[in-house]
Amino acid sequence: MIMKLKDSTIHQIVITTLIVIVASTVSVLLYLGFDYYSIPLEERHFHPLNQSFKASGLVGHGLGIVGSLLILFGVLSYMFRKRVRLFSRIGILKHWLEFHIFLCTLGPFLILFHTTFKFGGIVAVSFWSMVAVFLSGIIGRYIYLQIPRSIEGQELTLLEIEDQKSEMNKQLRQTITLDESIYELIDNVPDKTKNQKSFFGRRREERLALRKLRGELKSQRIPHKKAREIVQLYRSQLGLKKRIGRLVTMQKLFAYWHVAHLPFAFIMLVVMIIHVVVAVTFGYKWIF
Amino acid sequence: MRGMAQISPGDLAKVHAHLEGMANCTLCHTLGAKVSNEKCLDCHKEIKKRVDESKGFHASSKVKGKDCTICHSDHYGRNYDIVHLIKDKFDHGDTGYKLVGKHAKKDCQDCHKKENIADKQIKSKQETFLGLNDLCLTCHEDFHQKTLSVNCLNCHVADAFKPASKFDHTRAKYQLKGKHTEVSCEKCHPKSVRNGKGFQQFSGLQFPNCVNCHKDPHESKFGQNCTQCHVETSFQTVKSSGQFDHSKTGYLLEGRHGQVACKLCHKLSITAPVKHENCTDCHKDYHKNQFMKDGKSPDCSECHDVTGFTKFSYSFERHNLTKFKLDGAHLATPCFECHKREKDWNFRGIGERCVDCHKDIHQNLIDAKFYPSQKCENCHRSSVWSEVKFDHQLTSFALEGKHSALTCRRCHFKMNNENVVSQIFNDLKTNCESCHNDVHHAQFGENNGLTCLRCHGFENWKPEKFDHNSTRFKLDGGHKDVACIKCHKPMIDGNIRYINYKFNEILCATCHLQ
Repeated sequence: MIMKLKDSTIHQIVITTLIVIVASTVSVLLYLGFDYYSIPLEERHFHPLNQSFKASGLVGHGLGIVGSLLILFGVLSYMFRKRVRLFSRIGILKHWLEFHIFLCTLGPFLILFHTTFKFGGIVAVSFWSMVAVFLSGIIGRYIYLQIPRSIEGQELTLLEIEDQKSEMNKQLRQTITLDESIYELIDNVPDKTKNQKSFFGRRREERLALRKLRGELKSQRIPHKKAREIVQLYRSQLGLKKRIGRLVTMQKLFAYWHVAHLPFAFIMLVVMIIHVVVAVTFGYKWIF
Repeated sequence: MRGMAQISPGDLAKVHAHLEGMANCTLCHTLGAKVSNEKCLDCHKEIKKRVDESKGFHASSKVKGKDCTICHSDHYGRNYDIVHLIKDKFDHGDTGYKLVGKHAKKDCQDCHKKENIADKQIKSKQETFLGLNDLCLTCHEDFHQKTLSVNCLNCHVADAFKPASKFDHTRAKYQLKGKHTEVSCEKCHPKSVRNGKGFQQFSGLQFPNCVNCHKDPHESKFGQNCTQCHVETSFQTVKSSGQFDHSKTGYLLEGRHGQVACKLCHKLSITAPVKHENCTDCHKDYHKNQFMKDGKSPDCSECHDVTGFTKFSYSFERHNLTKFKLDGAHLATPCFECHKREKDWNFRGIGERCVDCHKDIHQNLIDAKFYPSQKCENCHRSSVWSEVKFDHQLTSFALEGKHSALTCRRCHFKMNNENVVSQIFNDLKTNCESCHNDVHHAQFGENNGLTCLRCHGFENWKPEKFDHNSTRFKLDGGHKDVACIKCHKPMIDGNIRYINYKFNEILCATCHLQ
């Protein structure tokens, strides 16, 4: 239990650090370059920061290269971890995803500054593809959360979820002795799949069920702390039930999502390579 | 969509818009080497030419060796000002042509306009700062209409066209001297209208003779070589060196006339007729009509000549024709002693008597009967004052013996103890002691004075008239041969030494017992 708590704290610290890195990088770049980025394109050349902040400048070009490498590494590493058997045992997939999200958030921001907010030419295809991938990533992350996963982050089947639910109930009966009526209430959380009510109707039904449980717990004089644990369990049960209800939809959506996320990433990479090749061909090699 | 279809990082500036398109990238970009100056200059040949000639802003130290793209990048959009000239900050000196004077206050477009560009190719450009050179006439109209050098700065400065403050007339073929330096340029360089424009002639002027500019007031009577007589300082001033042959005028300049400035006689104008019959036509009668006779003064030339006023031709002979004839010492006396006894010369009414000029030192001292009306010539002559011609017999004291050989001064002029000489004429007594000292210490005095003449004459001091035998003591016997001194011994009475001639009593013992 102690170990578990420690792991989650470390995880939280790491996540926070990554967020801070992204936020501070963007903030610093905005702070340093706002004056330059905010003037019209025609006047950029005459700005004192132009030599370093322009796309081919020391800072600007550097941002492009570092940003691209971050994206490249973020994409490939996560792809390899997911798809190559050799890497399938390294770390938790969820953490890889988080790292993927970090790199592919920071990278596009750096690329954004590399563009100096000037979006034209063929490379804009890459940029907008990147934006599409980035936005789809955010949507994907939401869908991802809707699909129950093993502790490894592996997607669970409907049966596995049902089992998980039964296991939860069993655990409840073993730990707390309650009146059978309460067990029944917990078992019979409103099921999305079994009623055809509207979104709001379902919400109302859930609230009524929760109120009923709370009233029952009160009438049976269940201690306050215990009652809260039961309500928590009830909520998990409800959530699980909802996920089970949505699972099929989400699984379908997620399949579609991949169709969007991956090709955009692919286009982005291809055009980016063209952009890099062109730049290098014309002699823009940064510090090299 | 155009932008999406190409690899360009952005639209090119308007002037480069024709270079848009993937096929044109390498017109500016060198593969593997960004944008090279060579590519830029391949198109911008006019700039390359200037750089190769080390002329203009792009050949200045500020620009030379730098990449074109440092100042003139592109792909910043159509409206990007690729030249981006900040007029206030631009130092025109970097172009090799520093803006000074009025130029510094002008707008760029005042000079950098199509009308001033000769090169057709450059002129065809929509906007350019090229095509001008540092010759003034590139922008300025040639006021002199090709009559002078194209290098205006030889004479003018950039502050103002007028005056041509750098112009130095000493560099011109015609050197300005005298008054020529003061007259306005326009006097010799006339303004006119040529080819419908204002014009002032500075070249091609004829100047070998003064008459090229000046009118000849002599109407060629004296030839055209004005400088023979005239100088540049003033037309009225004529060379005193006498190049001018004044004899041509009918009046020969001689003596001092040859040295005086012309304007002393030619007061109004050198050409105005001058009366010259009489000296007084020019000269003032210094003697103020003193020589006027019958209402007319004689001409100065009767006494003076042109060699100078202090000299004169008035002779003794002419003087002797006057009432006062010069003789004796008067012949050697300078004129001014008599004629300029005061401030001015005076030739009239100065008197003819001696006392008119000389001081009568005897006045009231000599009885007027001896020189009535102060007629000095009664005693003196004009040859020398000291020679006196006076008949002393007219006085109560006739001069005899040695007295007749003495100068008057010996008796009539006395010097006192303070060496002051005083004259004694009327008051001089006729007795001997008035002039002579009594060496005998009053031994021979009587009631009426001394009796010098009983023993002494006028020829010498020897007592020629003295006879010892007529005294109380006759000399006889051995006394005849005895020296006087044996008996008449020297005596001293106080400070007075004398020989004792009078004895109180005449006894043998008076002498012999001594």
